[in-house]
Amino acid sequence: MGGSAGEGRDGVRRSIRGGFLASACLGPIILAAVLAPWLAPLPPDLQEDVAGARYLPPLTRAYALRLSSERVRVLVSLRATPTGWMGVRNGRREEFTASEVLGAPVSRFYLLGTDSLGRDLTSRLLFGIRHTLVIAVLSAILAIFLGVAVGAVAGLAGRGWDEGLMRGVDVLRCMPRLLLVLVCASLFPPSTLLLVLILGATTWTGLARILRGQMRVLARSDLAAAARASGASPLRVALRHLLPQATPLLAVNTALRLADIILLESALSLLGIAAPPPAVSLGGVMASGSDALAEAWWIAAWPGLLIAGMVFALRSAGARFLRLPDPPSVA
Amino acid sequence: MAAVPLLLGVLTLVFLLVQAAPGDPFQFEPAAGVSGSAQRTLRHAFEADRPLAVRYLDWMRGFLVGDLGVSFTYRRPVLDLIREAGANTIVLAGLATLLQFLLGTAAGLAAAGSRRRWVDRILTGLSSTVYSLPSFWLGLVLVWLFSVRLGWLPVSQMRSVDAAEHSLAWRLVDFLRHLALPCLALTLPAAGGIALYVREEVRSQLGRAFVQAARARGIGEKAIVMRHSLRGALLPVVNLFGLALPGILGGSVVLEVLFAWPGMGRLAYQAVLAKDEPLVLGCAWVTSVLVVAGSIMADLMSSWVDPRAREETA
Repeated sequence: MGGSAGEGRDGVRRSIRGGFLASACLGPIILAAVLAPWLAPLPPDLQEDVAGARYLPPLTRAYALRLSSERVRVLVSLRATPTGWMGVRNGRREEFTASEVLGAPVSRFYLLGTDSLGRDLTSRLLFGIRHTLVIAVLSAILAIFLGVAVGAVAGLAGRGWDEGLMRGVDVLRCMPRLLLVLVCASLFPPSTLLLVLILGATTWTGLARILRGQMRVLARSDLAAAARASGASPLRVALRHLLPQATPLLAVNTALRLADIILLESALSLLGIAAPPPAVSLGGVMASGSDALAEAWWIAAWPGLLIAGMVFALRSAGARFLRLPDPPSVA
Repeated sequence: MAAVPLLLGVLTLVFLLVQAAPGDPFQFEPAAGVSGSAQRTLRHAFEADRPLAVRYLDWMRGFLVGDLGVSFTYRRPVLDLIREAGANTIVLAGLATLLQFLLGTAAGLAAAGSRRRWVDRILTGLSSTVYSLPSFWLGLVLVWLFSVRLGWLPVSQMRSVDAAEHSLAWRLVDFLRHLALPCLALTLPAAGGIALYVREEVRSQLGRAFVQAARARGIGEKAIVMRHSLRGALLPVVNLFGLALPGILGGSVVLEVLFAWPGMGRLAYQAVLAKDEPLVLGCAWVTSVLVVAGSIMADLMSSWVDPRAREETA
């Protein structure tokens, strides 16, 4: 903060531009998450024809021919022949007589390509954004709650509480975070709830420390003295008078925490710690693409870009609230 | 000295966590040739059949005398395994950390000190973009480009299979070729973050009174950045470096797994999956010691950079 008037104006202009960029990135992503069921062209786990539809590159136009109630063939460059249909499936030409096919061919447009099981990546990514955002928001709420509770109690409730809680925070901060996550994840069967608990429980210590510092300063301020003098109980002083002062800090922290959690979630997916299969997350799609890099670069490419976009937007939103960025997480 | 109870707390917590984990490393599927008593024999051989309290005390004693036990899966002393994996990781992550800070500080300084606006804008834009990338996604992109498409560099592992048959120079080049991609993937995102941080710090120093005084004396902008604001900006960077030190051994789990680099992160990951208790605990011990050592080192370094901090501690 501070600085000359000219620099201040420059900072404001810059932060407005940053905010615009952030909302330009975040807006469509959140919209996509909310509208996923309506936007997705196909169900996210629809495997119509594994052999025919696998690894179709982005912008592929294909057709689904229904042969029976279960059997569907997905073909590209479909043509009508005098006897029925002819097209290319899995690199080979295949023909079907009109009597074999139930109904007319259904057009499929794979905007972002398909994965190793022939599922439409556009649909998977839309649902993936949704799931990733839900996980990130819930974990961030948990992390913020823990951070605020521990930080405020340590900062306001007196020396004994402060010592005890902060030693605990130090112990947790000394634990290698990924190792902690790995051990926790191996304790219980994988589920979305577990992922949220793990992500939330391992990302709150930084906030607790910062908040404790701020609360300690505030507790000695005139603001606190005035509130106490007017007869407010200690709890009321803390909740109504002191904690609201930390709102900017919490806003910045929420944005940065969300970014961290999204990155961590995707890293965990690569290590095989993710919500179990029917759930699709961006990290999960990316992890599945890492095995098929040579055949289908697009599987890993899109989720990575989406994650990067979300992280970028959240961090610039955070920087908009506070000009000085958090010390970057190096590990 | 507060470090000792801290370490004790960390180790106890990890010990309890590992004990609570389900699954049993000595559990076998019933198979031909494996008798029911094999389980008991093995458990006894690895001294895993003693009561919890005894194992806990014995394990604590082990840390004092430097005996971390024997790994269940590798059947070798944990200390040896950690020594080998640690060396591999220090090469990869140590080099990457060094590059992160060199690149990041250089880019941040260049951006903050540049008179030309577009230099600042390009560097800042590039840094914040790179900082947003998941490091293993960057790894995937690099593998796709340099290994799959161009075929210049190997996909994974630390050395070629036939490396032993070749000369020393060949082996060195081979090693460096394997090192390049994981090192780059580990370096760039963090370097971007550090660049942004350094830039902001230097910028905030540039607004301060002593810098204006220097400017009023007619000192050039470059000298102001290098001589006056760099020093103040370096302090938080040095602190950051101390905090990054433990990450050198533990922080690159994902990239080590991705590139099949036989380092500490991968060792710990596999140990957790296999519920290899002594190995998990050993890895946790090493990383926690490093975290504590890192923060002590950060304090020492900041008193070296900043005389004010020196007086406070004295």
